[in-house]
Amino acid sequence: MKNPATLPSIAGLACCLLVDSAGAQVPVLEISGANFRPMPVAVSAPQSSDPGAQVKSAEFDSTLLFDLSASGIFQVLDRKSFLADRSEGVTASSINFGRWANVGADGLVKTQLALQGAQLQADLHFFSVGTGKEEFKLTQSGSDRDVRKIAHLLADALYRSLTREAGPFQSHLAFVKKNASAKEVWVSDWDGKNAQLVAPGGPNILNLLPALLPDGSGVAFTTYRTGKPMIFLQRFGSQAAPLVRSDHMATGISFSPDGKRIAYSLAGADSTQIWVAQADGSGARQLTDTPYFINTSPTWAPDSKRIAFVSNQGGSPQIYVMNADGSGVRRLTFQGNYNQTPDWSPRGDLIAFTARDERKAFDLFTVNVDSGKIARLTQDQGDNEEPTFSPNGRLLIFASHRTGSSRLFVMSSDGSNQLPLPMESGSYGTPDWGR
Amino acid sequence: MSTVEAGMHPAVAQSLLIGKPLRIRPFLIASLVAHVALFGAVAAASYLRFGATIDLNNQPIKASLVRLGKPRDPKLLPRIQETPPEAEKTTTAPDPPKPAEPPPAPPRPTPDTKAVAISPGPKKPLEQSNADRRKQLFSAFDRSNKPTGSRTAKAIEELEGQPDGDPRGDSATQEGERYFGQLKAQVQHYYDVSQTIPEQERLHLKAQVIVLIGRTGEVLKVQLAQRSGNELFDSSVLAAVKKASPFPPPPDHLRDALQRRGIALEFRP
Repeated sequence: MKNPATLPSIAGLACCLLVDSAGAQVPVLEISGANFRPMPVAVSAPQSSDPGAQVKSAEFDSTLLFDLSASGIFQVLDRKSFLADRSEGVTASSINFGRWANVGADGLVKTQLALQGAQLQADLHFFSVGTGKEEFKLTQSGSDRDVRKIAHLLADALYRSLTREAGPFQSHLAFVKKNASAKEVWVSDWDGKNAQLVAPGGPNILNLLPALLPDGSGVAFTTYRTGKPMIFLQRFGSQAAPLVRSDHMATGISFSPDGKRIAYSLAGADSTQIWVAQADGSGARQLTDTPYFINTSPTWAPDSKRIAFVSNQGGSPQIYVMNADGSGVRRLTFQGNYNQTPDWSPRGDLIAFTARDERKAFDLFTVNVDSGKIARLTQDQGDNEEPTFSPNGRLLIFASHRTGSSRLFVMSSDGSNQLPLPMESGSYGTPDWGR
Repeated sequence: MSTVEAGMHPAVAQSLLIGKPLRIRPFLIASLVAHVALFGAVAAASYLRFGATIDLNNQPIKASLVRLGKPRDPKLLPRIQETPPEAEKTTTAPDPPKPAEPPPAPPRPTPDTKAVAISPGPKKPLEQSNADRRKQLFSAFDRSNKPTGSRTAKAIEELEGQPDGDPRGDSATQEGERYFGQLKAQVQHYYDVSQTIPEQERLHLKAQVIVLIGRTGEVLKVQLAQRSGNELFDSSVLAAVKKASPFPPPPDHLRDALQRRGIALEFRP
């Protein structure tokens, strides 16, 4: 009888001592705010055995390299930093991963091209250098004339495989190209390549502020072809036609993301107001009503229920938000005294805008729609303006004067990784990034 | 029993003066077992102290290291803060030029200097004459603007902070134990995580690392006490602690605890 009673008491004593030894808690220090950094990846030159595919190799390579470099999730290592081993294949067993680790790569991208008739097939292998394993293989094929498209498709597939989000590399860009006496609207691939002239300019004919249709079937823009500013719609493959008919000066069109409505500003004698109409221009209705003030640059929220715009009704141009019926007007920015050209992120949380700071420099900022917190994206790099979000909200294209003339740049939505688009020389502005 | 009673009178057998066989052996065995168990438990407790002492519901300490400087006018737009200058260096140049190369580990990577040259000088009049319609429209806003005041460039350059702050500080306000703020600032400087981790996954990532810190600030032991479930994230937080070491020597009141029990660093993205 005594033994069974003794054992629990001994166990109880031992437990007390455990608790006693652990009596003083280890302090827990919370660390957050990680610096999310792009993964260093090595992208080796495409491998191809047949001469036909080798001809396509350079264009494929440059397209893929720029997509991955601008993606924001990769830091593409300079090929000068490593020597290519031509004998190294595209299977994990044939790759010396230690060598790739030594050059600082965490990931390795290898591509193969093969041409069969007019069909070009491209394979992309992605390896984890740390584990020495092939994570996945992606394949795309198409006409050999669509080399760039195949590279964009592969870049998108790689982006989606890693982040589980849609990549932005098959999207399109509309922008204004400035000549000596004219301004033309062009539409291109997202990277400014494969550009097509949409609205030709002429002596004293200005075409401005393009906005791609949400379904990508055309572009609307402000034009001075009749002498005063009007908004025209150019559907691809047809003639441009007026979209907004008004006696006032109409500028700055923005399509609602659901494609059902348009917002624009009409300038009268003493004020400028925001108007909303159906997508075909019918049923126009004035939203803002602030005599003697300027309300302009509307941009839609991704749910098409709210509109952000610029207004000087508080004394200086600031970003405001209102419901799509004109109710619930709320001032969003309270810092700076010259905030303009807002663009609402397709992710909904941020509005990017141009602001002039206390040094009189134009720079890009984002404001959080809920908290009103402002973050700076560019600084001390000339004047930067007119931001436009990528369809997935991760990147921004903007116009910058940092190299002298106005050129288009791309960066991550936090302002990092600013790269010039690989466009031919010229003066470009007012980009709109659509699908 | 019968053998004892057989040789003597029953009364004698009941006498207290007669020695009886002691039944102490079971008690000895029980005592021995108990002592072995006790010492075993204590030894195990001291060996497995890491696991036993973590209370995941324990409220984490929030600590920040206040930066040396002056508060920025809240009406001004924010500026991207450069890496704090070295404590012993004091720049006296009236208009310090921007560094061409980005610092080794700034809070945000600066653009590629090859691709992005700084535009020298003010805007040319020719460019202004070519300003597009939008700029002309916005020039109307200028009339209603008030001058921004006469803050000098040098005053604007100063970092926000408090007069008694630390040159390496990363926050405008002090919170919690100063040494923990130093630890946090040092680890956070190296807290680099791969951008390829999907955003949905980032919301749920949490890893705990136990660090034992010696008298001179050296790291005695680093151990992953709670995995996040993502190998990239786990390796990133371990790398952050290792790169951040050694730490400053702990103050007297924390020295013993940090050396014996350590501190748990709870990492979230």
